[in-house]
Amino acid sequence: MKPKDIFFYAFSAIKLRKLRAALTTLGVVIGIAAIVALLSITQGLQVAISTQLRRGFATDTLIVSAGGGLGGGDASFSLLVNDTQTISQIENVTTALAIIQRIGYIKNADGQARRVTVVGVDFKAYKEVYSSTFIAENGEIPLNPENTAVVVGKRVSDPWSNGTIFCKAGDTVEILWTNTTARPLRNETYTGNVVAVLQEVGGFSIGGPSDTSIYISIMQAQSFFGTDKCEMIIVKLKSNDKTTIESTAKAIRSLFGGQVTVTSATAVLNIISSVFSTIELFLAGIAAISLLVAGIGIMNIMIVSLMERTREIGILKALGMKNRTVLLIFLTEAALIGLMGALIGVGTGWALAELVVRIFSANGGVGFGVRQGGQAALAGGIAITPVLTLTVLLGAIAFGLLVSVVFALYPAWRASRLKPVEALRYE
Amino acid sequence: MAVVETINLRKVYMLGKVPVEALRGVNLKVEEGEFLSVLGPSGSGKSTLLNLIGALDKPTDGKVFVDGVDVSTLNENELANLRRKIGFVFQFFNLIPRFTALENVELPMAIAGVGKEERRRRAAELLETVGLADRMNHKPTELSGGEQQRVAIARALTNNPRFLLMDEPTGNIDSKNAYEIIQLVKRLNREKGVTIVMVTHDQRLAAEATRTVHMLDGTIVKETMNKT
Repeated sequence: MKPKDIFFYAFSAIKLRKLRAALTTLGVVIGIAAIVALLSITQGLQVAISTQLRRGFATDTLIVSAGGGLGGGDASFSLLVNDTQTISQIENVTTALAIIQRIGYIKNADGQARRVTVVGVDFKAYKEVYSSTFIAENGEIPLNPENTAVVVGKRVSDPWSNGTIFCKAGDTVEILWTNTTARPLRNETYTGNVVAVLQEVGGFSIGGPSDTSIYISIMQAQSFFGTDKCEMIIVKLKSNDKTTIESTAKAIRSLFGGQVTVTSATAVLNIISSVFSTIELFLAGIAAISLLVAGIGIMNIMIVSLMERTREIGILKALGMKNRTVLLIFLTEAALIGLMGALIGVGTGWALAELVVRIFSANGGVGFGVRQGGQAALAGGIAITPVLTLTVLLGAIAFGLLVSVVFALYPAWRASRLKPVEALRYE
Repeated sequence: MAVVETINLRKVYMLGKVPVEALRGVNLKVEEGEFLSVLGPSGSGKSTLLNLIGALDKPTDGKVFVDGVDVSTLNENELANLRRKIGFVFQFFNLIPRFTALENVELPMAIAGVGKEERRRRAAELLETVGLADRMNHKPTELSGGEQQRVAIARALTNNPRFLLMDEPTGNIDSKNAYEIIQLVKRLNREKGVTIVMVTHDQRLAAEATRTVHMLDGTIVKETMNKT
């Protein structure tokens, strides 16, 4: 029998029991849709997080902080601002910049105060490392700032995202922090000028510019906070390839006698990626169970069909149909159901993923905040767009097909083995 | 050479745990162009004989030769190929209900791998031969018993079979239509030279054939020639 004729024969058998075929297909649809929806949302989340990380934490940078990792290191060890000079001399390092940061307050001309992170950095070097995010939306970031110069994050200037401005470029503000190491506690203040408001950064960052921070010059930070110690040193490398990152990290660690932790963006991204792979596998596994149930549904329906059509199979055999052809007809029926279910399932899964993301978005986000287009951003919110890769798409279709055919193997085999004379006698 | 020859054919069924001897050594020859009827009451083993000749079942003992080929030496695929050269007509028509008359007649050719055009043409031609030219696109449920049996006969003829096997072909049809069916069968035998083996319990119907073998309790008890 020609493949085309086998196909049409199988199709005519499915058409005969439309509702039953539809319900069986529905089982496959649900299974495939669950897999596709879960995977595309998870992958979308991963892409969103990775993108945010890359933006706020350039892949060609290392972050050096005090402390030799978990439980290690000498508690009295601190990184100093001028350690950047020695780090700069290490091979492959283009820039090293120190960051001093404290929690403080910024007070505007109306006397309102907002809690912010006050970050002392070398503006010029910071701009070099974070060239895509340390950008002024208003005003201008000076490369050789005066001591009074203050650059504020977007959410400091426009805290409620509704145009009610707390402070803007050109404003005079008061910077305040409480020196908790002084006895008695002492509030330190100075008057600064807002020279620039940063573009919105969104998301989160490690070391990189943030919407809720204000930036002052490193010299000013040293004198204002009364310290030469810094919280971290950000090191920009000549390239972001693995060997450069690893060898430089090692060189920095040995420079400080193992008293520092060196974190690379790439390492963090790798960890996130492996965590997501595990989550994806787990979710796909759960969804696959529903497909397995669908497979059993197919098997059940094929067995019922086999019983109903025993006589028909007897006729086909009496007319000279070979066992192999009977087998193929049954497998084709299952494959058609599987394929139909898989195709509809992929579409449904994709729509489901979009729907879920929209619902999350409308509710302002659960867990990871979700931000879409022009909507108000939550602090730390990130935008998820479901990602349906070709691998997932084809994999889901192939899997749906495979499960359907595998579960049809037994009924199809039984059908092919029917003895013609017994099948013909079957009522 | 005989188209069909059986030698000492025996068939034992297990009815639950009780063995039932359906055939107890049947020797039969069917010559080319012959119209043979097998007459016997129910349980005489005539349908069993038909199934064995048609390669639908395997004998317990003895041999069936079709065109000189020992059927017992054939594997499943070869049996399927052999069945394509045999035309079956059943008491209950055994048409596929979801297909039209035309599609039912096409089916054996589709199974044999004949192309669509050729199939259509030949099926239409055969339906015309059996007098159903105007009922081709009707489904079995829309046809009378007589009409359904004509479709079945057309279907049996598609692959130019070496012989037709008919199992009570008029058993489920009213007498007027039964008469027409038997006239059609006789015409096929006479005009087209189709070899026919027909099983029946109806004496009058059996007498329409050129030769009748009488069966009882699994053996051939008598053989008569009919004047036609």
